[in-house]
Amino acid sequence: MDLSIIEQLITFVTIPFQSFLTIEIFLIFIIFLIFLIYNEKRNNKKVKISLSALIIFFFSLLVFYFSEDISFVLSEIVKTVIRCFYFPNIIFYIFTAVISLVLLIYTILKKNLTKLNKIITYIFSIIHLYLFTNFISLAIINNISLVDTANIYKHNNMFVIVLFSQIIFILLIIYKVIYHFCYIRYEKLKNTK
Amino acid sequence: MQKRNKNMRSQLFKVGFFFLTIGILVFISTPLVKLRDEVFEEMRLAIFQLNINKNNKNNTTINNVNTENLEVTAENNEEAKKNDKKANYSYIGELSIPKIKLRRGFVSKESKYNNIQYNVAIANEADYPDVDRGNFILMAHSGNAYISFFDKLYKLEIGDEASVSYNANTYNYRLTNIYNQAKIGTVSIYRNQSKKALTLITCTNNDDYNQTIYIFEEI
Repeated sequence: MDLSIIEQLITFVTIPFQSFLTIEIFLIFIIFLIFLIYNEKRNNKKVKISLSALIIFFFSLLVFYFSEDISFVLSEIVKTVIRCFYFPNIIFYIFTAVISLVLLIYTILKKNLTKLNKIITYIFSIIHLYLFTNFISLAIINNISLVDTANIYKHNNMFVIVLFSQIIFILLIIYKVIYHFCYIRYEKLKNTK
Repeated sequence: MQKRNKNMRSQLFKVGFFFLTIGILVFISTPLVKLRDEVFEEMRLAIFQLNINKNNKNNTTINNVNTENLEVTAENNEEAKKNDKKANYSYIGELSIPKIKLRRGFVSKESKYNNIQYNVAIANEADYPDVDRGNFILMAHSGNAYISFFDKLYKLEIGDEASVSYNANTYNYRLTNIYNQAKIGTVSIYRNQSKKALTLITCTNNDDYNQTIYIFEEI
């Protein structure tokens, strides 16, 4: 951590040659790269398929050997997502409020959006921002420090407000994503016709 | 005809996709619920730690530790799930075993949530960790159920460490003895009386007729 830039560079360069395993891994990746580049010229379909299969096999092997660690990492990732949903820290919560605000302003200013889309976005964004404002005002009234996450969620009111605002935010995002995809598909269809 | 076939295929694809989604959701729902509970448990422990920070500023036998109901069944697992949703309690302490990544809070002996259907439970015969030469006895289910808080205890070996946070103090222990006893509703605890002890009791791994007792001594 306390290395200088030159030391960092030297370490980076020497990493592939630290053990037999690292040399092996380095060579495998180099071979993959050479084959991929070389095949770009020849454009052989068989090489493409076999290389893809080899890459999948190689990573499957890694997954097999480190399955316990990988399942631990995956469960940690899911736990982080669950944590962000039920007990988001204040930075994440502010971030969601900012997204909501940007979406609201964008919807107000954008002209070629349908009325239904605008109304749905207004409803979700306004409820989300209302809950966020309520959250802040409750924190001020009860003198709750927002720095420590546990300090926020030991108050049931705060927990409920955050939970509902997260639900609203997720609904807003899901709606926006679905609308966006449908809109793109519709536009594509229109253009092809 | 071709258009009809195409439509049919598209409909089949949609139905297949729908059932696939439902299948995946059913498949991942149980581990997801378990992970959700772990996240809630972490938050309860964090709140417990927060409250603590605020406030800070020879062989003998104790017989007849009641271990009835240490058996976990599908019904009491379901019941515990329902109860846990309604439960609102705060911890008075925390048990931590780093080797098996166990961190679990416990409530006071008087609390109605001091029950293995909700938490790691303190035995009625137990002393609190701050009692000199006392024996702090904790019990919980093992297995695959939702309330199996001691499911990985069987991985422990002599010499492994555990710690208990209680009343703004941390008590560190080392595992000194592991033994099994038949499930007859009570267990006998054999420990060195000149030292403070922590005793963990749970069902024996892959054994329906025995329970395992883990004796830790204070370091």
